[in-house]
Amino acid sequence: MINTINILNLLLPLLYTATFAAYAWDFLKEKLLFQNSKRIFLLTTIIIHIFYLFIRTFEFNHPPITSKFEIFSVLAFSIALSYFILELLTDIRGTGAFIILIAIFFQVVSSLFISHSYSVPEVLRNRMLGLHVISALLGYSGFAISAVYGLLFLKLYKNIKTNKFGLFFNRLPNLEILEQLSYYAFVIGFILLTVAIIIGFIWLPQAFPNFRYTDPKLVSTFFIWVLYGIGILSKILANWYGKKVVIFSITGFGLVILSLVLTSILSHSFHSFY
Amino acid sequence: MNITGISLNHKTAPIEVREALHLNREEIADFIPRLREAFLEEGFVISTCNRTEIFGFLKNDSIDLNPIISALINFKPVEGIKPEHFKKYFSCGALRHIYNVASGIDSLVIGDSQILGQVKESFELAEEMNFTGSLIKKFFDSAIRVGKRAIRETGIGEGAVSISYAAVQVVDKIFANLSKKSALIIGAGETGELAAIHLKDKGVGKIAIANRTIERAEKLAEKLHSEIVPFQFLKEQLHNFDIIISATSAPNTIISRQDIAAAVKKRKGSPLCIVDIAMPRDIDPEVKNIDNVFYNDIDSLKIIVDQNMQRRVNQIPEVEKIIMEEMVSFIGWYNTLEVIPTIKSVRDFFESIRTDELEKIKHKISDEDYAKLDDMTRRMIGRILHNPTIKLRSLAESGTNYQDTANYSLILKELFDIDNKNKDNNSKD
Repeated sequence: MINTINILNLLLPLLYTATFAAYAWDFLKEKLLFQNSKRIFLLTTIIIHIFYLFIRTFEFNHPPITSKFEIFSVLAFSIALSYFILELLTDIRGTGAFIILIAIFFQVVSSLFISHSYSVPEVLRNRMLGLHVISALLGYSGFAISAVYGLLFLKLYKNIKTNKFGLFFNRLPNLEILEQLSYYAFVIGFILLTVAIIIGFIWLPQAFPNFRYTDPKLVSTFFIWVLYGIGILSKILANWYGKKVVIFSITGFGLVILSLVLTSILSHSFHSFY
Repeated sequence: MNITGISLNHKTAPIEVREALHLNREEIADFIPRLREAFLEEGFVISTCNRTEIFGFLKNDSIDLNPIISALINFKPVEGIKPEHFKKYFSCGALRHIYNVASGIDSLVIGDSQILGQVKESFELAEEMNFTGSLIKKFFDSAIRVGKRAIRETGIGEGAVSISYAAVQVVDKIFANLSKKSALIIGAGETGELAAIHLKDKGVGKIAIANRTIERAEKLAEKLHSEIVPFQFLKEQLHNFDIIISATSAPNTIISRQDIAAAVKKRKGSPLCIVDIAMPRDIDPEVKNIDNVFYNDIDSLKIIVDQNMQRRVNQIPEVEKIIMEEMVSFIGWYNTLEVIPTIKSVRDFFESIRTDELEKIKHKISDEDYAKLDDMTRRMIGRILHNPTIKLRSLAESGTNYQDTANYSLILKELFDIDNKNKDNNSKD
């Protein structure tokens, strides 16, 4: 089993890179070579990644969330899966390269540094924690995808405004679609983060004796949640359009990263495991 | 293959000559009987504003096409026209040329999609005039197949190559669901009308026309089933539209930056696409600096047109591959025509032997046995002739062993003395 895990650990970055190459080729060239097969590349990669995460869980007897590098692999997987679902729902296939690039980054870092020679605290073996972390990671993946679509929106917006009718103009979907994709990813991210927060509120006080509601990580996560909630309400109630929506999404994601970095580095929390 | 063609087009003659020579439907109908009488067994005449072409199978073995050219010039005298304005095509050259025309790679605007329809119309007229036979039908069908394959399998017809269509391409890059969008066309002239038609074809939900002369606006609105915005209330109505296309002949700008800024404010930031295809421009180009306003004029749209044109030019090698495939297929088919009479003669010869021999025993055996024997001998002859038939046909289809094909045909005829037998039979008849 360990050998299989090691092989898959090496194989996954290659599979993500091959998937990225198929999507990038399709984006750059106007040939139809990978128009359909790139989705099969992605599906295969996702299936193998699921298998990898499962056998890790069974072999080490804990969900794959006990180290930063396990988390990175789950993050790569959740980004790829979220994109795949979004592509299936919308049938917009031209933007995969930009999203899968993020998945490659996380999987490569994970594959390079992941190990299993550390002792795992008992609390990290809990299934509720697995659910809590995976839903949070899927939520953050949604925010990341939303931000990428936001950046693509801004790129196309600028290109149209400045009459640059090149590759991005020809190959990206139109502005309204990019805004919708950004918004949908935003909403999905918000829902999953809500699930993570609910599980956390129910389970964390029972699991950690030193639990406190004023913990910096909890406060910052709640702040992010409120912020994205305001974004959704503004879109629905105040009819926010285009640029305003995507700038909100990009700013929101910037704050997510900032809060994760600050709470990990600067504060000591019962919520820090790694 | 004695298919021939003459062509006067944008590559061979100036526009005045091309326009003047253009034959309308009635003129073609008048000219076809002259072609049939003196020159062609079957054929068709294509005439558009950019080309006049005649294709057909010659009546005799002459390869001099000058009489056809002279007949056309006499039929429709055009000032300045010379025989040198015509290009002549023979055999494979004619085949290749009609394929080039049908696929749009010979058009003034590469990939022009209208030409295929024009070729079809020309053939339909020839059919109505009984000027078509099985050969020209096959020739025409293969040309249409080339045209369709070029559109389906390559990007030769993709992308906007006119300013008004490029405007639609920009609109398409901003909005997703055009059926929920509304467009205002300012100016009911030819350019405005073309832009409006393109938007309607794209499925824009609501189109309104504004024109200084209300009658012209009404005329266009009626044609497009659209609304009218009175010109004097134009500025107050701007915020109601997602797309504004302006194509008037006004000497100065008619919409200022302030007008658009006010409209955007009322639209609460909802995007506004403005396309100014007037010359001089109708809308202050400074509007492009307003957030969520996408402004394009003729110069910026020309960038799209040039890019798309280049992309179409890049597709020509792909189209040429299709043309080569179809040429090989057509020539293969055509070559089989040469051996079909031989195959038929051999089969007839064997069939006559079979029926003769059956006739001899018809009254010596029962009807049931006769039927069995009839069936058995038919199958036997079929099996005997299967291989020679296939071999001869495939040799002809390959088109590369013409001499071999001729030799095989000759040997078969010699061995079975087929020509003499046919002559005897004919004389008996």
